[in-house]
Amino acid sequence: MKAIEVNNVSLKYYTLINKKQRLGFKFGKKEVFQALDNISFNVSKGEVVGIIGQNGSGKSTLLNVIAGVFEPDSGEVKLFGNKVGLLSLGIGFDNNLTGYENIYLSGMLLGYDKTYIDEKLDDIIDFSELDDFIYKPVSTYSSGMYSKLSFAIAAFLEKDIILIDEVLSVGDIHFKEKSYQKIMDLINNDNKTIIIVSHSISTILELCNRVIWIDQGKIIKDGDVNEVTKDYIKFMKNLKK
Amino acid sequence: MIDFFKSVFKYKNYILYSAKCKLKSEVSNSYLNALWWVLNPLIYMLIYIFIVTIVFKKSEPNFPVFVFIGLTIWNYFSRVLNSSVKTIVDNKNIIRKIYIPKYNLLIVKTLTLLFQTFISIFLVFVLLFIFKVHITLKILYFIPILLVLYCFTFSAGLILMHFGVYIRDLKNIVDLLLKFIFYFSGVFYSIPKSLPSNFAFLILNFNPVAFLIDASRECIMYNHTPNLLILSIYFIISIILGIVGLKLIKKHENTYVKVM
Repeated sequence: MKAIEVNNVSLKYYTLINKKQRLGFKFGKKEVFQALDNISFNVSKGEVVGIIGQNGSGKSTLLNVIAGVFEPDSGEVKLFGNKVGLLSLGIGFDNNLTGYENIYLSGMLLGYDKTYIDEKLDDIIDFSELDDFIYKPVSTYSSGMYSKLSFAIAAFLEKDIILIDEVLSVGDIHFKEKSYQKIMDLINNDNKTIIIVSHSISTILELCNRVIWIDQGKIIKDGDVNEVTKDYIKFMKNLKK
Repeated sequence: MIDFFKSVFKYKNYILYSAKCKLKSEVSNSYLNALWWVLNPLIYMLIYIFIVTIVFKKSEPNFPVFVFIGLTIWNYFSRVLNSSVKTIVDNKNIIRKIYIPKYNLLIVKTLTLLFQTFISIFLVFVLLFIFKVHITLKILYFIPILLVLYCFTFSAGLILMHFGVYIRDLKNIVDLLLKFIFYFSGVFYSIPKSLPSNFAFLILNFNPVAFLIDASRECIMYNHTPNLLILSIYFIISIILGIVGLKLIKKHENTYVKVM
């Protein structure tokens, strides 16, 4: 069963947008940066797909397009009614509010209703290990506490399609392991479709069964993990010389 | 248009909760908390009363009520417009990470300001009672006036919000323009009584805030029916502006991230 279908997606950035161009008067030179160039691929339900490529190759842009944050200039992304979300920390947080209130705020922004968040509330608070701090304003948190809470929210308010931009592991060693385990649980869940962007080949090798290699906005290779990563490493080594 | 209502309905939980949280967050770090919402307009009222009655030696009957009605409407109008220009930039943390129809962010803002306006309106009634102003059922006209005020500011806000993303200077321009319009809105003087009649006619018909302030006073303090024709014209203008604004935003909202 298909979960994501990406059809001929292209996206340009206009770098050095000058003020006139912003206003819509098209004078002067336009510098176009082709971030995505005719990208097409399908992902089936339950698949774990890695995306690799060097810096600036368009990986994160692709994730943003799938998440609906950017609209592609041409082409389309079909999601077949699946809920999609970037696994990212602290969406919509307000630092003057308590952690408890931020769970609801962030959750509702992600599109969940109150009853669903009520159900997950205990799990989130337990997982974040904040205890009584959950009733204190987020501005009083240490950065570790902040990331623990935001990780717990991101991980427990799940989507059908999870987009991960670099595997998150936050907090102290103990929490790092715990959060890594939680992500592994999500990944191993057959109902979830996962797309991971990472620079770490070992993470990709460990987690994914299929890899897409992007360079300069184009798909260079799409296929089995071992094959694609091998070529990719070779390519990167040549690049350094 | 239908899309707009559907999406607002879909995000209603977030909009309401976020508005509530914003209000809470605004007062959570101050000593007097929510009292500021009452103190702020009251102190402004006292300043204007001082300037007008003592410095310029002019006045209107029941002057505090007079000024307070003007201030209530002016504050809402100017705050919505001022903040609409910055809405997208202020929310860039959300916009960069997740898709949300952008007008919902403006609705959150208008709701928080509307709440403060209701406190202000409550104070108007307290003042009406203290000064024993005779009120009649004509006061009900204040409800459509508020509706037009909300629609007009929201629609104008939508358009400002859109252009605010591309033109950063817009917030300075809006700020200056509002300071200028303030003096032509009759917040602390009566336009029909103080200005030459041609000029007053012009301002009352072409400056929406001046018209709305004057109309509110007519129905609350003087038991007159406000000019319903102009009120409906402004309502229609608001709807048109609103549709234009929604179209602009729908077309461009997913490129906002690229510009920021």
